[in-house]
Amino acid sequence: MVYVLLPVSLLLAVLLLIPELFGDFVAYQIGLYLIYGVAAQGIGYLWGKTGVLPLGQALFFGFAAYVTAITLRAESGLIIDLALATAVLAAISVFSFLLAALIFRGRNESGPYFSLITLALVMIAEQVAGTMTNLTGGFNGMSGFDSLGNLDPFGSFYYVIVAATVVVSLLLYVLNKLPVNLIAKAVADNEPRLQLLGFPTHVVKGAVFAFSAVIAALSGGLFASHQGIVTPTSMGFGLSAEMVILTAVGGRFHVLGPLIGAVIVGWASAELRDSFPYWELLMAAAFILVVLKAPGGIAELLESGYRRIRPAKIGKSFEAIAAPTTKVVDSDAPLRFDDVHLQIGVVRILNGVSFETPPTGIVSVIGPNGAGKTSALNTITGNLRITDGSIALGKRRIDSRPPYKALHSGIGRKLQVPSVFFSMNVSENLSIAMMANRARLIDLFRPSTYQWRSKSLSDLLEHSSVPLQEELVEPVEHLPQGHRQFLEYAMTIAAEPQVLLLDEPCAGLSPDETALMTNLVREYQAETGGLVIVIEHDISIVEAISDKVLVMHLGQVLAFDTFETVRSNPEVQAVYSGGTK
Amino acid sequence: MLKSTTKLLAGAATVLALGTVSAAADIKIGVLVPDSGPAGLFGPSTRNSATLAAETINASGGINGEQIELVFADVGVPPAEAAQAALRLWKGEGAQAFVGMHDSAVREALIGRFNGQIPYVYTPVYEGNSCATGLYVTGETPSQQLAPVIPHLTESEGVSKWYLIGHDYNWPRDTNALAKTYIADAGGEVVGEEYVPFTVSEFDSSLQRIKESGADAVLITLVGGGSVGFNVSFAGFGLDEQAIRLGTLIEENTLAGIGADNADRLYSSSGYFASIESEAAASFAADFSAAFGADAPALNGLGQSAYEGLMLLAALANKAGSLDVDAMDAAAEGTTWSTPRGDNTLTGRHMAQTIYLADGSGGAFNIVASFGNVASSEACAN
Amino acid sequence: MSSVLFLNLAWQISTLALVALGLAIVFGKLQIMNMAHGEFVMIGAYAPVITSSMGLPGWLQVPMCLLTVALVAFALERTIIRHLYGRMFDSLLATWGIAILLREAVELIFGRGYQSVSPPIGGTLSILGADYPAYRIVVIIGIIVGFAALYWWNTRSKVATRIKAMVGNPDLAEAIGINTARLSAGAFIFGCCTAGLAGLILAPTIRIEPMMGLDYLIRSFFALVVGGLGNLEGLGIGAGIIAGTQSVLGAVANQTYGYLAVLTLSILFLWLKPDGIRSSSR
Repeated sequence: MVYVLLPVSLLLAVLLLIPELFGDFVAYQIGLYLIYGVAAQGIGYLWGKTGVLPLGQALFFGFAAYVTAITLRAESGLIIDLALATAVLAAISVFSFLLAALIFRGRNESGPYFSLITLALVMIAEQVAGTMTNLTGGFNGMSGFDSLGNLDPFGSFYYVIVAATVVVSLLLYVLNKLPVNLIAKAVADNEPRLQLLGFPTHVVKGAVFAFSAVIAALSGGLFASHQGIVTPTSMGFGLSAEMVILTAVGGRFHVLGPLIGAVIVGWASAELRDSFPYWELLMAAAFILVVLKAPGGIAELLESGYRRIRPAKIGKSFEAIAAPTTKVVDSDAPLRFDDVHLQIGVVRILNGVSFETPPTGIVSVIGPNGAGKTSALNTITGNLRITDGSIALGKRRIDSRPPYKALHSGIGRKLQVPSVFFSMNVSENLSIAMMANRARLIDLFRPSTYQWRSKSLSDLLEHSSVPLQEELVEPVEHLPQGHRQFLEYAMTIAAEPQVLLLDEPCAGLSPDETALMTNLVREYQAETGGLVIVIEHDISIVEAISDKVLVMHLGQVLAFDTFETVRSNPEVQAVYSGGTK
Repeated sequence: MLKSTTKLLAGAATVLALGTVSAAADIKIGVLVPDSGPAGLFGPSTRNSATLAAETINASGGINGEQIELVFADVGVPPAEAAQAALRLWKGEGAQAFVGMHDSAVREALIGRFNGQIPYVYTPVYEGNSCATGLYVTGETPSQQLAPVIPHLTESEGVSKWYLIGHDYNWPRDTNALAKTYIADAGGEVVGEEYVPFTVSEFDSSLQRIKESGADAVLITLVGGGSVGFNVSFAGFGLDEQAIRLGTLIEENTLAGIGADNADRLYSSSGYFASIESEAAASFAADFSAAFGADAPALNGLGQSAYEGLMLLAALANKAGSLDVDAMDAAAEGTTWSTPRGDNTLTGRHMAQTIYLADGSGGAFNIVASFGNVASSEACAN
Repeated sequence: MSSVLFLNLAWQISTLALVALGLAIVFGKLQIMNMAHGEFVMIGAYAPVITSSMGLPGWLQVPMCLLTVALVAFALERTIIRHLYGRMFDSLLATWGIAILLREAVELIFGRGYQSVSPPIGGTLSILGADYPAYRIVVIIGIIVGFAALYWWNTRSKVATRIKAMVGNPDLAEAIGINTARLSAGAFIFGCCTAGLAGLILAPTIRIEPMMGLDYLIRSFFALVVGGLGNLEGLGIGAGIIAGTQSVLGAVANQTYGYLAVLTLSILFLWLKPDGIRSSSR
């Protein structure tokens, strides 16, 4: 808790000292920067964690500011004002959640389209606010109202802003300490992996976007009350861009970064604008430098300076807690492909694939490059949508379902190139995997969830030859390929899927490691009695582990039988000796 | 001390030199100018005009015997930031009165922050309807710019079918609301009315409508760049042969952007043009170029309004005997003073002034008519 | 449809396609979200101002425009842009800074005031029963011819393929002998030069001042988004939809509705067809 309370109490102390040391007027100015800073903190959380860059945050800021202005003009009393504020925040959270969740649905990245949509929305809002003069006062804005609770904007209202700043900062610090933080960061790090671990990432992004929107709206309400006027610029593209700049300069990866950015940039431009004619040039150049050379902004520079004096403590160990059991899925039925076709553009990848696996055992998939093996696995998890036919697990059709539902159907997937959360350490990777298919929403907000470890995962980690050490604090991007293979495997089986899809799990492994991996796979299958489908090129491995072998060629099933039968199949021999025909 | 420099280095040395003269100043006056933003174009001429006004005031004894010093702030930014900048001058530097040349949103923000505690002169062309305590207005209102001019053009150009086009915000809509009554009174009719967003820079469809409407006069309340773009296209389509144009915010810079080729029969109505031929105006223009060099940003009605504002402030404060808002409000009605614009009177805390109608044909404003002592229809009670 | 509306449409669509062409290259091919695109249009529009202030003859406007824009683009590519390949959001932020830098630089040199440029061809032509500015008709024809030539070149040249290969896999492209640094610099400069040329061509019909760039940036982005980033046809279709919507709604309703419709349309495309109208999947 000290990591949360110390910076927040420091912040509180600094903010409370400002009026004492510099007087009410300076506090009034700082108050405005803090209001922008709080909105920027919301942007920082969204952008820094999930990688979603909002270019229209003033939409929520301005909307709340207008509603506040209208409410305060009506002078209906503090209670009604606050009730209405709550209702507006609720409405904004629903709207922004739906907006982001709907747009991100069915996607696994946060490309520029969402940013451009938010940009277009704020441009519409600014235009409408400027045109609807009857409601908003048009260009000249809405003014002539007292601040919330009739507090003096030059005096006591500052403490309302301080309270909001401290509460939001505290909330963000606390969130940073909770498992939900890992999930949010995992979105930016490796969204496809997070989906395969059963997390609906569009919902995660929707929720974080809604959170940032509510923070923006909160600061918009404060703005109206503090400034006594709301104009279309409060709801415009310019302010939205300004907030992003404050966030970037201050540092989007730190709770206090955007606040620092807002106060420094606000103060510097107020000081320099009238005395230094080239301040805009200076600001632009400084901003470019930050983007190019210091993406973590001022906060990151401060932190690395601080870390030089006091290096971070490393290797804090923790007590593992037995994880709850996984959510039950009944999927111990065969996987069945029925005349599956897949076409992307003009390229036909699968041309009528049909087969039915046994309900249990290890099935190897072999075939030359381009046979459609990985694509077939992608259709099972929903990463690719089939153009015709059907895929069923037991009685349930599973094709054309989004990837995040695969795990809920009992399907776990390890990808061809090890796909882990590269910017996180081993322990964090495993913690996310342990939440997969186990955590309820509430568990994401309990610190103890970090410590969940299942027995099978502990067994795996204690295996003397498995090269994974939880004590490592380095991000796993620095791990060698082989270690990442084991990490991804460990993460995939952590959710204990009934159907395990492994895409070349032994690629890049040494002979010893290969033996270890095949043993682990066999043990897992034996323990769970489930179905394992492995894509493998090494025939000796195939022979060692397979109950059945599926041979694919040119997007079709060439043979599907025991290893011995397949090996003696003349067609298979032709493909393997003579290459593709 | 005037620490600020204009962006144009040419003027900087002169401004600094002038600053030393007022070193012994007793009263600080905050001057709010748009250095950045869409109106940034008018920053330098506004600063220069204000500086010249301070010189004149100090030379004739200052305000109530005390010398004045100007402190500038950039208010070409959104209202919240502009209000902060003004408050820095007031609370931080001890400014005792304000003269502001900026948009209406900033004015509304400042009224809220000043709260009648400090005299505040608002100087640019504006839509009217602002009557806060301690607020005095020198800017032309729509009634001043149009009431005498529309009948005059109806007469001289024989026009009767008016098309009204403006940007989509308060000032054009308020202007056009009044214009309709003057047009009707002059026996004309309105054949079209249109508002375009600030973000639109193409006027083809508007021009097509103007053409089809058969209008023989177009009242333009577009501002800045939009006005330039519209007028360039207007002439490009040959519409200058079909209709005259009247703008209420087309000043020297805008006309330069429109270009000599595109300014045929383009009229502008304003309280000030650099080409006013009165003795006072000519000597003002001479002082201006002597102080800031021939290359200084062109004189124009908006920039020059800061001069008017300071002169009003001085006249009113001298009449009231102090810079106290109550005393000034009480003394305001009927204050008279003379400036390059002519003889002015304060009525309803707005400035009754001479209105000039200029023809921009050939790329330079040529005054074709002037209307003395035109009062605004505003009547702010004291 | 009246003939003037038709000609207006042709003018709007062709000029938007021309303005957006450079962005299509820089954003579509190099993945640089160039927020300073409009500023290159602006610099191009200042070319006649430069030549006339230096007392140079009018025909030097085109080389002057290309030279100025290419120099600026080259300097920016070397110092800033080359660090941004593969960092799309960072490119958006950094070029936003560049846009401010360029606006301020032009303001320092030429001042804030409006500049005026006369068209090389004045007067109106009677065409399809309507009087239409002669200069615009020449420009429309010129753009159509230019795009046809570009299309022809594009289908034959290997440059587009090489750029595609480079963006898809820079290491591999380097390995097969493509000089990626030079190719991307060349593409960036070429894209900026077309923007500058667009500015020069539009100069006699628009306002010219340091802040003018933003007008062109947003519409270009939306045209690209609607049309898809892949190819010239998409660019044409995108420009057609964006400029067409604005023009037609501006004509039958009013400009505010036209503007709002363009924004709404863009949102719908970004949401439902983020790869543009020519993509088959969602």
